Amino acid sequence: MKLARPARAASLISLVPMIDVLLILLVFFMVTSTYLNLDMIPATAPETSARPPGQPAADTPRLMIRLGADGAPALQGQSYTLQTLRPRLAAALAEEPLTQVLILPSGAASTQALVSLLDLAAELGVQQLRVLRLEAEP
Amino acid sequence: MKLRRPARGSQGEPITALIDVVFFLLVFFMLIGRMDATAPFDVSPPQALSGQDLPAGGATLSLSAAGDLALDGNSIDRDALAKTLRQRLAQNADLRLRINAHKDAEVRSLLPLIAEAEEIGLRDIVLVVTPAASGTP
Repeated sequence: MKLARPARAASLISLVPMIDVLLILLVFFMVTSTYLNLDMIPATAPETSARPPGQPAADTPRLMIRLGADGAPALQGQSYTLQTLRPRLAAALAEEPLTQVLILPSGAASTQALVSLLDLAAELGVQQLRVLRLEAEP
Repeated sequence: MKLRRPARGSQGEPITALIDVVFFLLVFFMLIGRMDATAPFDVSPPQALSGQDLPAGGATLSLSAAGDLALDGNSIDRDALAKTLRQRLAQNADLRLRINAHKDAEVRSLLPLIAEAEEIGLRDIVLVVTPAASGTP
């Protein structure tokens, strides 16, 4: 007796549409994604201070750094660069680690100059850092 | 003249390897890509050495060098910004505001934004920076 062999199916499922969808998804993610390496720094002072709450703030020395429109920091009337300010600030912090550092930027200073100064303060371990802003009288 | 027809291969080239590679590439781009909305103007953040990793999520406020604002990729003015931030803060009390300011943006544009966001009640406000290579300003 001769059995008829069943005809073989041409193909179970065609893979071509799946490959098309995959390639479209791949191109979509390649085109729409951004590959910037971004970090963040806090823009507000932390609520918890290193200074004990009972201790008056007047005990700790303060340094006010003015940030000029050209991005150059000035301390006690003397103009510095970030490189020359570093030892000056480090010496003040070595003497009193809780020294309060106030930054008063010019309105025309660039964000990069302010961030560089904040960066320097963070690097030197300034614990009390404030950025001041002068408001115009209405 | 009779040309010899080349023998047909049994299945042609196997495409399973191709599918594997495409899958790997797809997962790779999905994992390392960021799907943030981009601002309608050029923003290149300042460089900083002391930055921490920036997690996804939150509201992104972009500030151009000229002082233009965009919230999550859409241009916005100051009045609408305060209103929108209040609404979003009401929906999520722990909303993080990421201020993506251009490095040349003036401080007089940036600091009032931070003050206004604090006044609205936002407590988690961060500045977006790019990690600087050691030795660069």
